[in-house]
Amino acid sequence: MSELLLEVKDLKIHFFTDEGVVKAVEGIDLKIERGKTVCLVGESGCGKSVTSLSFLQIIHAPGKIVSGEMVYYRQTPDGTTWEIDLAKLNPKGRKIREIRGAEISMIFQEPMTSLSPLYTVGNQIIEAIRLHSKATKDEARKQAIEMLHRVGIPNPDRLIDEYPFTLSGGMRQRVMIAMALSCNPTMLIADEPTTALDVTTQAEILDLIQELQQQYGMAVLFITHDLGIVAEVADDVAVMYLGKIVERGSVDDIFNAPKHPYTQALLHSIPKVAMKREDLEPIQGMVPSPFRRPNGCSFHPRCSKAMDICSQIVPAVTAIDDDHTVQCLLYEDVASRAEVERAQS
Amino acid sequence: MWKYIARRSFYMIFTVWVISIITFVVIQLPPGDYVSKIMNQMLQAGGSSATPHLEEALRAQYGLDQPMYVQYLKWLGNVLQGNFGHSFTYLKDAKEIIWQRLPMSFVLAFGSLILVIVLSLPLGIYSAVNKYSIGDYFITFMAFVGLAVPSFLLALICLYLSYKYGGQALIGLFSPQYVDAPWTWAKFLDLLRHLWIPVIIVGLGSSVGGVGGTAIQLRVMRANLMDELRKPYVDTARAKGMPEGRLLWKYPVRHAMVPFFSNIGWALPSLISGEVLVAIVLNLPTSGPILLQALMDQDMYVAAGFILVYSILTVVGVFISDLLLAWIDPRIRLGRM
Repeated sequence: MSELLLEVKDLKIHFFTDEGVVKAVEGIDLKIERGKTVCLVGESGCGKSVTSLSFLQIIHAPGKIVSGEMVYYRQTPDGTTWEIDLAKLNPKGRKIREIRGAEISMIFQEPMTSLSPLYTVGNQIIEAIRLHSKATKDEARKQAIEMLHRVGIPNPDRLIDEYPFTLSGGMRQRVMIAMALSCNPTMLIADEPTTALDVTTQAEILDLIQELQQQYGMAVLFITHDLGIVAEVADDVAVMYLGKIVERGSVDDIFNAPKHPYTQALLHSIPKVAMKREDLEPIQGMVPSPFRRPNGCSFHPRCSKAMDICSQIVPAVTAIDDDHTVQCLLYEDVASRAEVERAQS
Repeated sequence: MWKYIARRSFYMIFTVWVISIITFVVIQLPPGDYVSKIMNQMLQAGGSSATPHLEEALRAQYGLDQPMYVQYLKWLGNVLQGNFGHSFTYLKDAKEIIWQRLPMSFVLAFGSLILVIVLSLPLGIYSAVNKYSIGDYFITFMAFVGLAVPSFLLALICLYLSYKYGGQALIGLFSPQYVDAPWTWAKFLDLLRHLWIPVIIVGLGSSVGGVGGTAIQLRVMRANLMDELRKPYVDTARAKGMPEGRLLWKYPVRHAMVPFFSNIGWALPSLISGEVLVAIVLNLPTSGPILLQALMDQDMYVAAGFILVYSILTVVGVFISDLLLAWIDPRIRLGRM
């Protein structure tokens, strides 16, 4: 049995805008185990990026965590485990800063703008190292060169003094990874790290992240909308739709036995090589405006299996088996029937 | 880097040269010259001796009978040797007048510039970081008031207040006993005592050129920083675990300074031209009023001298701001923009 690293319980994140409250994340549960890769999948605007930002408490105003817990199981050097609720920490406080970068670090979608063009690559990595250790400038510089070497950058001792704008997108993302891993974190959040890169570079970066994950034994939370990437890297998958996790399970469950109509539709919408264009089934309709969230199950207007009650009842989390859950009325009866049977026997 | 400085220096000299031609031509554009002005005065005084012959003789004496390009070349040659020509009105060397007045203008403009930076930088940063807070609204409100009040009105109000509550109107830059005294420590202190009012007025007021005022620089800083605070590199730095204060100064503020500094380069000339009205109201011994008078009197060498020195200062100011930009932003330094 693997060890739990981060447990999210009923997390809600709302944006208080002038036009009204946007419920970007509406009560999600998520578990991340040590050393495992969890993929958070969903369309643009479903709240997956906001969720990842909330783990580090770096959500932009007017966004706020309104309720829920994010319990981080921190291992101390003497082998005991501390529980810290990240949701309760002050975003500007010292405690969350000790976790940011040192224990949970993050790489972003846009390698072109995620590094400041005003400072050298080395300056920005050395800064990350020295924020969390007592290393001198020279020691930190040596570590930084070592990290750049590990992420596969040629001539790291020369490149460390280059400015980011002289590097290609793929190189910059490698620098970001080097920076994120420089303090040996227990968890890496990768928010669409390959979306802005071309396809061959994407594959290289994915391989690199997986390789480093094995070396360092860290957990990875991978945010993506690309199911191809999910199939390649994930241990567990959480499918998000309009601020809710509609289905959660192992990568095998999700790809071989998807339960939620949204997951099924997502899988049908991936083009395959031996497929005719007409066979592709895009999901009908559009993602609704966050201001006008549909009643009941928020997916029902686009759902091909919608029933009348779907517009009235919000589905609860239904367990298909130990680590496969779904939020859909289609399965609620099945589960309750199973429960009744279990009670009878 | 040295190549960059050398190239810029060459452009600078070229620019000043072009400006000197344009100034010289523009100054002579209004009909008549200094001699026709004297003739008018003599006629008005009832003199009948204003014969065409005298006029010709005077023109020949002042060198005004020659074609414009000859006058220009002569003047330029003299200027290069440090001789700015003769003032018709004051019957003194134009150079003497310029060097007497210009340092005062410079002290005033420089003082105002420092005030602009010292006020607009922190207030702009505060406004952007705490956007839509009460403090931000207050600063914005005051900035618009500063923008809307003409500087000469501000000068009059200050004059009135200093007279009513300070006992004496703080006119000029020196107390009467120091005006013609040689430079001493006491005279310097006296200057500082008088300087703050015009510095505040020129710095806070909406100067004629527009970009000089604190209000505008403050709004520029606020807008720039609000843009920068949303950039992904800020998230990156925050995700590293950097303390907010250090993060703010190291990343977004430095980014936001780039447009701020390029504006400051232009602020210098607008501060100098914005000073004219204030200097007239407060009777300051700066160059603005003299230049205005020289232009009205067609005292061409004084006017041309002032404008030439102004334009050199402006070009040098822009050059300094460009060097600052290159220092702040490696993309400019390495020619990637």
